[in-house]
Amino acid sequence: MPMFITYGDILCQDSLKELDLFSYKSRLKFGNHLYLEKDYLRASYEFREYLKYEDNDTIRFKFANCFYNIGRYLEAADNFKSIFYNSTIQDESRLAYYKSLFFSGDFNLFRNSSRNEIYLPEKYLSEVNRLYFTSFLMDNSVLPDTANFISAFPDSNKNDIRNFYIQKKFPQYKSPTTAALLSSVIPGLGKIYVGNITDGLTSFLVTGVLTFLAIDNFNHKHSFRGWLFTGLGAFFYAGNIYGSAAAAQIFNAGVKFNFDNNVKLYFEKRNYFLPENNL
Amino acid sequence: MIKSIIFCLLLVPTLSKAQTDWVKWDAVEVSYKISNASSKNIITQKQNTGSGIISFLRNIYGFFISELDGDNCPFYPSCSHFFVQAISESGMIKGPLMFADRFIRDLNFFKGKNSYPIHRIGKFYDPVSNYTLNEQMIEIALSGNGGD
Repeated sequence: MPMFITYGDILCQDSLKELDLFSYKSRLKFGNHLYLEKDYLRASYEFREYLKYEDNDTIRFKFANCFYNIGRYLEAADNFKSIFYNSTIQDESRLAYYKSLFFSGDFNLFRNSSRNEIYLPEKYLSEVNRLYFTSFLMDNSVLPDTANFISAFPDSNKNDIRNFYIQKKFPQYKSPTTAALLSSVIPGLGKIYVGNITDGLTSFLVTGVLTFLAIDNFNHKHSFRGWLFTGLGAFFYAGNIYGSAAAAQIFNAGVKFNFDNNVKLYFEKRNYFLPENNL
Repeated sequence: MIKSIIFCLLLVPTLSKAQTDWVKWDAVEVSYKISNASSKNIITQKQNTGSGIISFLRNIYGFFISELDGDNCPFYPSCSHFFVQAISESGMIKGPLMFADRFIRDLNFFKGKNSYPIHRIGKFYDPVSNYTLNEQMIEIALSGNGGD
């Protein structure tokens, strides 16, 4: 067996002993490698070990950014806080803090923090302000004043933002009550109001034919058939009123879904008007 | 002496594990019996008012019509399943109304592909949850919002 151990192996073993893979500097190198490979979770473990031995703002930022990149936004926000003072990247970390709160989806927390003004980054005030107004498009809060809202965004995007604002403030919803009332007056009219024209016409034809059959059978003294068609007609008439209200709700859900989707795509395409993160 | 002990030690496991003539391949009997756990009788799983009657009607329809007629409903879930699900989820008042509405929509000759999302089995996807009048339960697919 000893015959197979080469001189190169002995050298390699010696160099490994000298290298000490678990020293904090080796962990930093490995952490940086993992970070570049976008293996953020494992990179965070290595950075955590490194930070036990040496303090470094850039590594602290990268450590927090690891959580941001894997979607653990509140942990990221907590870690960005540790670089808020006496650091050359304090403005960047403050912006990253607000970004983390924004992407956590808790827009109330984000808005309260951004109105607090304690941590606002001087360099990136307009970016945080834009995020503040963008957050109103993403939840059901009361929209702020139009002028302030639109002026926060670049001139080239103001028309799009204005359209989003109008769509959010005055959504093109259909009232389920109106749809139901219309269908109760003329069967199928509620469906036509919602936009389901062929469904509405079918409802009208079905209830119309059943009503005609009922009347015709009563006129010809076929009371059983008359009552049978009356019952069926009433059944489909009531079902159509119910269905019109449901169709209006489905229509509204579709409008909301499309709006949310469009807003998300629009802002994602423009990186939420935020600068690129170079770290 | 040692040789005979070794021989015995080898012989015992060989005989105990050896394949016998009368159980040649250790064949397992395969059961081709259809499992009793069928999803068809949904109503009986969720007991509510009139569930017995609806279950009976649905089984009659399934036995005399659906089994012979085949899988012809263009929707998923099919109208009969929609009826059963609607009653089990929404009760005896809302359920039939939901079914009446579905039945009329099924009669519509012009229910184009744009009106409903297409389920992976190739049918129009029209779940009961969309018609409970509860906004939180509405499922929206990217292909449309229900309009013609």
